[in-house]
Amino acid sequence: MSTPLQAFPAPSRLVGAEHVVMAGAALALVVLVALPLAFLVGGSLTGDDGLTLAHFRDAVTSRLHVQALRNSLVLGAATAVLSVTVGLPLAWAVSRTDVPAKRFIHLTAVVSYLTPPFLTAIAFVNLFSPRAGLVNRFVRDVLGMPALTFDVFSMAGLILVTVPHTFPFVYLLAASALESVDASMEESAQILGAGRWRTALAVTGPLVAPAVLSGALVAFVNAIALFGSQAIVGLPGRVFTLPTRIYALFDYPPQYGLASALSLIFVALTVAALYLQRRYLARRSYVTLGGKGSRPRLVELGSARWGVLAFCVAVFVVAVAAPYLTLLAVSVSRSWGLGFWQNLTLQHYRFVLLEYDVTRRAIVNSLILASGTATLAVLIGSLVGWLDLRTALRGRKLLDYASLVPLGLPGIVVAVALIQFWLRVPLPIYGTLLIILLAYTGRFIPLGVRSANAAFRQIDPSLEETARVTGAGWLRTFRSVTLPLARPGLFAGWLLVFVPALQELSASVLLFSSGSITLAVAVYNLYETGALGPVAALAIVTMLIITGAIVLATRLGRGVAVPSAERAEVAQ
Amino acid sequence: MAGIGIEHVTKRFGGVTAVSDLSLEIGDREFVTLLGPSGCGKTTLLRLIAGFMAPDAGVIRVGSTALSTPSGVVPPERRGMGMVFQNYAVWPHKTVYQNVAFGLEVRRVGRAETQTRVARVLEQVNLAGLERRYPSQLSGGQQQRVALARSLVVEPGILLLDEPLSNLDAKLRERMRWELKELQRRTGITFVYVTHDQSEAMALSDRIAVMHAGAIMQVGAPRAVYARPVNKVVADFMGLVNLISGRVVRAGADDGVVAVGGEHPIGAPVPPGAVSGQTVQVAIRPENLRLVPASAADGAGSVPGRVVEVTFLGNLVDCHVTLDDGTRLRIQVDPGQTPEVGQRVGIRFDGRKSSVFG
Repeated sequence: MSTPLQAFPAPSRLVGAEHVVMAGAALALVVLVALPLAFLVGGSLTGDDGLTLAHFRDAVTSRLHVQALRNSLVLGAATAVLSVTVGLPLAWAVSRTDVPAKRFIHLTAVVSYLTPPFLTAIAFVNLFSPRAGLVNRFVRDVLGMPALTFDVFSMAGLILVTVPHTFPFVYLLAASALESVDASMEESAQILGAGRWRTALAVTGPLVAPAVLSGALVAFVNAIALFGSQAIVGLPGRVFTLPTRIYALFDYPPQYGLASALSLIFVALTVAALYLQRRYLARRSYVTLGGKGSRPRLVELGSARWGVLAFCVAVFVVAVAAPYLTLLAVSVSRSWGLGFWQNLTLQHYRFVLLEYDVTRRAIVNSLILASGTATLAVLIGSLVGWLDLRTALRGRKLLDYASLVPLGLPGIVVAVALIQFWLRVPLPIYGTLLIILLAYTGRFIPLGVRSANAAFRQIDPSLEETARVTGAGWLRTFRSVTLPLARPGLFAGWLLVFVPALQELSASVLLFSSGSITLAVAVYNLYETGALGPVAALAIVTMLIITGAIVLATRLGRGVAVPSAERAEVAQ
Repeated sequence: MAGIGIEHVTKRFGGVTAVSDLSLEIGDREFVTLLGPSGCGKTTLLRLIAGFMAPDAGVIRVGSTALSTPSGVVPPERRGMGMVFQNYAVWPHKTVYQNVAFGLEVRRVGRAETQTRVARVLEQVNLAGLERRYPSQLSGGQQQRVALARSLVVEPGILLLDEPLSNLDAKLRERMRWELKELQRRTGITFVYVTHDQSEAMALSDRIAVMHAGAIMQVGAPRAVYARPVNKVVADFMGLVNLISGRVVRAGADDGVVAVGGEHPIGAPVPPGAVSGQTVQVAIRPENLRLVPASAADGAGSVPGRVVEVTFLGNLVDCHVTLDDGTRLRIQVDPGQTPEVGQRVGIRFDGRKSSVFG
């Protein structure tokens, strides 16, 4: 009894740390998402003389816009179907068969997923543009079979360059679902007399169907939002889509109202697809808990394994080898043609890295933007996740939902909304890096929120409670328990934002100025001027930066893995 | 018709031998339990019987037909067996009715007959009225019955059960145990049952096969295996047992004598081959030890000791006693005669019921 008990602190403070955090997170979401969205809606309903529905009338009656809408739907649907056609067999082969080279197959999907879609498009233009495309020239001039040439500037070409970016969604989700189907579920069917196909149809299929469908819808949403490939491949072939139509409306004189109306129709389409996905998943999600029976049962393919492997190799060739080898070859060729070894050069690299100050500026800008965006998104994500999981504040769920809203906003729509908002606010940030940072952060907040949420969710509250009981304060607990445990997950989230931010084009293309040009915009602009060699060199440099960032972040974050299914779900 | 013959079966996974040169005959209509700790190969053996894997050596027959050989395996779907998994493996996307009817659909049984048979089997497992529920709307016990009904509805000759009760709570487990036994008696199906729970094995089985490290240590009726374990492993696994070291005084199955706890002779069935003075292990179960007053500890068959721990278990009291040479014994006594910790006591060995291993 020598030392008296310390007096208890006052039972509660009026404004605790959590309220401050809540206010900060809410404010960030309002500025980044809510206000621009409100101005977008406002802009779509305002004409020269007050409120009007004229913009929407224009949007749904003009032949040009209706055609763009139809093209977007066709593109999305075809891409979704093909993504399943490619992604599902790959997923099945990796998770359920004894096919050789599984790591290679998995890496094919991951690299395809990480490759900026506009680079794939540019590479395929080099191979399949009607006159100058290498493959077309070979088929026409060397083989003498002009009927077999393929025009990339068409809907078919657009689908071809889009699928390599979208099939990994189906692959990652389906593979994880196939792996989590408890083998005993299938064995039960088998011992009751069902053969291999019957088992697949009656048991495995229905169990993984939600994941596959979900992947297909994510593929749809992503496909229709890709401005880069739709501009590079679609415009020359006069295949207009929603993003390229919206982009065209900003040509002088800009038609803000119509662009806003079209943007909202675009959003409706995206949200409808995401809603379907959610509803289907919610109704028919079967979490099959693997007890000890959860051994994956591998199908022994026998000699068929070589056929399956050949399919995977074909995917690798189209989605990875062809684009990269093409870009690499173009980047070191004086002029693009069949006599490759005669005119090797490094001049394009010297040009984009040393001589042309626009590309140098773009590289620096994009590095700043991508790291800034990743840091902000993970920070806001951590706040929202912490509020959701560790406090009982009212409104925290609402905050969580609100942070997911940008999932339904295609990049170009974010740009339109930001323009509407910041042009009407007396702060001169239009044309600066800041507005692009705001656009990126708004776009990628969902990735940050979900990553942080997943990272915190894995930490059992009792670990933190122990620290509190031991006498650590709130901040101390967060610093020495929560943060170290969540670090790998947060790093993964950071990388998950960094990579797409570094290659962002859809929003940047409307927001950049000569001072705030970004890497993807520089590539796109160079491409427009027809400088194929420098474009390819810059593309290769972009990929090197992305690879370097992944390696660095993996080192720093220890345990950060390349995208997994969970990430794909986060990324949708 | 549905007897199973397992002959010299070996199964390896990489460098690990899960089942090693194992032979076992299971009679038609018999209830045989494969009992052993996790990793002993019992589940592998069950899956070999089911046809989910091929043996690396040996043959598995049903009746006179060889179903599994290293060169070929009749696939599970053509064996006409039933199987119940530890995690039930009830399909979450099918209703109770659809789960149970699946095997009949595969067999192209007509609609009307399917309905009657599903209704009948659901009646049998007390699930009537839940046909349209999904598994997520059922309790663990109910899911377990769905799994059972699903495998019974096709009237298999052989039912394989892989720890089917281990995910249920204690009360339910006891009831299902009884129901399973009842069911087996009524249907005459051959049951091969895998468990690590020796009390479950004893309550259910006609015969128990105790497995260890991929081999069968002992096969026999529960009572026989319990009373006369062939080695330490079996003795240790079948219920509580005290394994103490002793020294042979005289060999002999009926008149053998072993000295334990220093120099206290007790009668024990010493194997004939043992020689006087040899060190042996004596396995004796708590119920074959009795506490007597310390004063009675000098007579033949009684050994003095000191109570070091007393644990009240409800229907009985668990006592730990240390003999003078440090040997620790566990004894179960009636709560009415609970001793004090530290008390000197005598222990009377019913040595004829012990087992002696060299």
